[in-house]
Amino acid sequence: MSISRFRVLSTPYEQAQTDRRRRQWDKALFVALFTLPGMSLFFLFVLIPIMQSAYFSLYDWNGFGPPTKFIEFDNYTRLLNHSIFQTALVNSFTLMILSLTIQLPLALSLALLVGRGKLHGKKFFRTVLFVPYVFSEVITAIIWRYVLSPNEGALLNALLGAVIPNFQPVGWLADRHTVIYVLFAVLTWKYFGFHMILYMAGLQGIPADLEDAARVDGGTEWQVLRFITLPLLGSTIRLTVFLSVLGSFQQFVLAWVLTNEGGPVNASQLIATYLYKFGITQLKLGYGSAVAVVFFAITLVFSLGYQRMIMRRDYAAN
Amino acid sequence: MRKYLFLMLMLVLSLSLGAASAQEPVTIDWWHISTETSQAAYWQQLADAYMAANPNVTINITVLENAAFKQRLTTVMQAGDPPDLFQSWGGAVLWTYADNGLVRNIAPELEGEWKDSFAAQAALELFGQNGEYYGVPVSWGAVGMFYNKSLFEKAGVEIPTTWDEFLGVVQTLKDAGITPIALGEGEKWPGHFWWVYLATRLGGQEAFLKAYDRSGSFTDEPFVKAGEYLKQLVDMEPFNAGFLGMTHPESEGVFGNGEAAMMLMGQWAPDAQAQYSADGQGIGDDLGWFPFPAVEGGLGHPDDVFGGGDGFAVGANAPDEAVDFLKFLTNEENQRGSAFFLVPVVKGLDDVFADDPVMQSILTARDSAPYFQMYYDQFLPPAVGSAVNDAVETIFAGVASPEEAAQAIEEAAAMELSQ
Amino acid sequence: MLSQQRQPVQNVFKYGFLIALCLVIMGPVVTAVLGSIRTNGEFMTTPFGLPRQGIQWQNYGDILGSRSFWNSLFNSIIITAGVTGLNIALGSMLAFVFSRISFRGRGLLFNILMIGLLFPLVVAILPIFIQVRQLNLINSMFGVILPLVAFGLPGSVIILRNFFISIPGELEDASYIDGCSTFGFFRHILMPMARPALLAVATLQVIASWNEYFLPLLVFTDPALWPLPLGIMQFQGQYGTDYARIMAYVTLLIIPAVVFYLFAEKYIVTGLTGGELKG
Repeated sequence: MSISRFRVLSTPYEQAQTDRRRRQWDKALFVALFTLPGMSLFFLFVLIPIMQSAYFSLYDWNGFGPPTKFIEFDNYTRLLNHSIFQTALVNSFTLMILSLTIQLPLALSLALLVGRGKLHGKKFFRTVLFVPYVFSEVITAIIWRYVLSPNEGALLNALLGAVIPNFQPVGWLADRHTVIYVLFAVLTWKYFGFHMILYMAGLQGIPADLEDAARVDGGTEWQVLRFITLPLLGSTIRLTVFLSVLGSFQQFVLAWVLTNEGGPVNASQLIATYLYKFGITQLKLGYGSAVAVVFFAITLVFSLGYQRMIMRRDYAAN
Repeated sequence: MRKYLFLMLMLVLSLSLGAASAQEPVTIDWWHISTETSQAAYWQQLADAYMAANPNVTINITVLENAAFKQRLTTVMQAGDPPDLFQSWGGAVLWTYADNGLVRNIAPELEGEWKDSFAAQAALELFGQNGEYYGVPVSWGAVGMFYNKSLFEKAGVEIPTTWDEFLGVVQTLKDAGITPIALGEGEKWPGHFWWVYLATRLGGQEAFLKAYDRSGSFTDEPFVKAGEYLKQLVDMEPFNAGFLGMTHPESEGVFGNGEAAMMLMGQWAPDAQAQYSADGQGIGDDLGWFPFPAVEGGLGHPDDVFGGGDGFAVGANAPDEAVDFLKFLTNEENQRGSAFFLVPVVKGLDDVFADDPVMQSILTARDSAPYFQMYYDQFLPPAVGSAVNDAVETIFAGVASPEEAAQAIEEAAAMELSQ
Repeated sequence: MLSQQRQPVQNVFKYGFLIALCLVIMGPVVTAVLGSIRTNGEFMTTPFGLPRQGIQWQNYGDILGSRSFWNSLFNSIIITAGVTGLNIALGSMLAFVFSRISFRGRGLLFNILMIGLLFPLVVAILPIFIQVRQLNLINSMFGVILPLVAFGLPGSVIILRNFFISIPGELEDASYIDGCSTFGFFRHILMPMARPALLAVATLQVIASWNEYFLPLLVFTDPALWPLPLGIMQFQGQYGTDYARIMAYVTLLIIPAVVFYLFAEKYIVTGLTGGELKG
């Protein structure tokens, strides 16, 4: 303020220039103050480690001492030729597809059921359905191991035994052909509540009179859903698809504990469990870092493509 | 013992620059994995006793669960920051630490009376290489066949001494409607016991050491044959239902409830069988033990033993007091006190299991073995150990032939083991 | 409403489906709760069943009577509060800048931050550990709190940014005319309005940090600093595991999470609405 008082002789144009520069400066300072703390944490603990992984991935390194044995892209060649890594890729994609075709529709229909309209015990249902999401992944895996135990006294076998005559107890986690589906079922149990909540939130943003008007015009419930509700829910659906795909790729703790490190016979290995088993526990950190880089590349390509092609509409508003 | 300690102390004092430096405050970080309350309390009690006798020493104990311990130790080791004293199973993992200067050579302190006090010399050797030692065992056992005497009686079978007899016993038990063997292959390592024992009987020390030093390989005859013998057994379907997905504790429960006649397991099994049985008692006096059957024409000695145990290794930056404390842990008196959860490794304790015939036979088998084969998944580098477990699992699951299994192990070994 | 009255059959189906689903969801929870009052042997022999050897209250007594449990509870609360508080503070500042202030490089910065969504913590665990160590944060609460905040930020910023964008620009202009500074608008107008979104973010952060297992395991060598999820370890051994106590511990961990959810439920739903209003 004091400075501008001395500038009484300046022309209005100059005055405006100074003010703008000042405002620019204030804004820059403000932006810096508001972004620096968060962004520096992010650089320190997320970006730098990612870049370090890229560097380590060019070395044959067991993690002791600094990496010295430079091997160019050998880790990547080995990785892409490793049949278990291919299994892991297929499994991660399987989980992704199952999530999109089963888990999300389930979450959406439940959101439609308990998220709006008249329903006795709405709050009760909502709470129960969301409960698994608050459990830790370790706890979920430990509990489910014993629900799925081959023991005939375990919950699932006991239930089926009570319903089906001459039922032989099944080792649910022991069959390498079906283990990935069992894993998917547990993941659905744990995570569909999260997507349900997102849909419920989306539904709240849809004005009820719009749907009522359609009903008055003689639309069936199905038509209302198909032509009014779902299109209006579009941005939420696009968001949940995005999160669900990333979530399928990022599965680690639950799968690791539940299937005992991706067993049986590596049949349920996922990208992240593969990384941990063949990179970290086997002391091949260079190799593990190569897996991390491939992992990162896959998710990056997916999310860039998805945002460009599908979510552009949602961002266009900004 | 005490007089000797006093002499040692005098020696240390006279060698060091003065009494003052010996009194400087010292901290020992000790990581062990005995999470069970009474066991953790026992280690704490020994640490307290040592600290009372050496007021300048502080011992910080970190108790970690097995899997968590391995994750944590690996990470701190890679960061070059080892604890002073930590759980170790010896073998290649410990040697890798040594090659990277992360553990301390305690040979100077060990040589002489301390070293001679160990009854389980073979176990001690796993804590050293090339004349150096980085730690000592505190407990060492043997894997063998636990069996249910009354089920054996019911089926009218005797203890088998050869593999063929053993297969006969399995068949008879099956015919009598008894599940012959309890197994929790969901965790993989229990199954690897079967394959390694067969390989040890078939090829003995020589085959293994050759494969290890790369003058031989894991596709050599004994290893392929071990898979074939194992496949013979697997094809008879002798295991409890769902064994491929069953955890180890569940399978201990199956045996402890008297629902299976045999179990190939280590020295901890009797406790576990009781703990995980429905009535908390296990099968009591019905429990018996016999060594793994001999294999006709095998090159291994029928008394060779497979197994392993626990010990402590000394970190690279550990103070002298850590070594002294380790010595204190393994003296006769403290080893005797630990026999409620460990199998002592020092001499003069032949009587600790006098009223426990099962443990006594395990101890005898261990000490009279011409060759002690350590667990592959502990002895070999982690990548090879895990390949062994994975490969053997494929035999149990019937998805790979014995040759393919051996080949998978050899591939990992070829990459990880240096000539 | 009309259609509901017309279709009682559909209603029966609807309730039947929901109730069946609730049973599926509660099954494992009941397994854990029942397991917590049975003996180890009972649990191993028949994982699902009633306590036949009397209710084993001492499974809980042992845990609640131990000092380490209360100590861990305290640590868990510190970590959860620290992560949630910092995440909200830093996240809302970033979201504000990304939603309402235009400057060169904003899009780039935002996209860089979004990279964090692509990477779970475990994938880069070793470099993260090295970083924590170089910053001298081993055995410090910050060694766990700061990386968790960093990994939680992208998600929080997305939710908050969507909410901030939905607040009409006229409001901001009006506040500046009334003499508000940018910070004043942020602090006194936007933040109170964004309470539902902030609570939604807080809830997700509380759940994530309350359950975090991996990072504290690596960062805390001192057991006195361990949060609750690490406490389960004391019942697992190399040769045997005390399942009954684990189940009791699990049950004890579930309770606060559920209570917290009951408390925060309505805020989550309204809070996540924000950006979706535009359709």
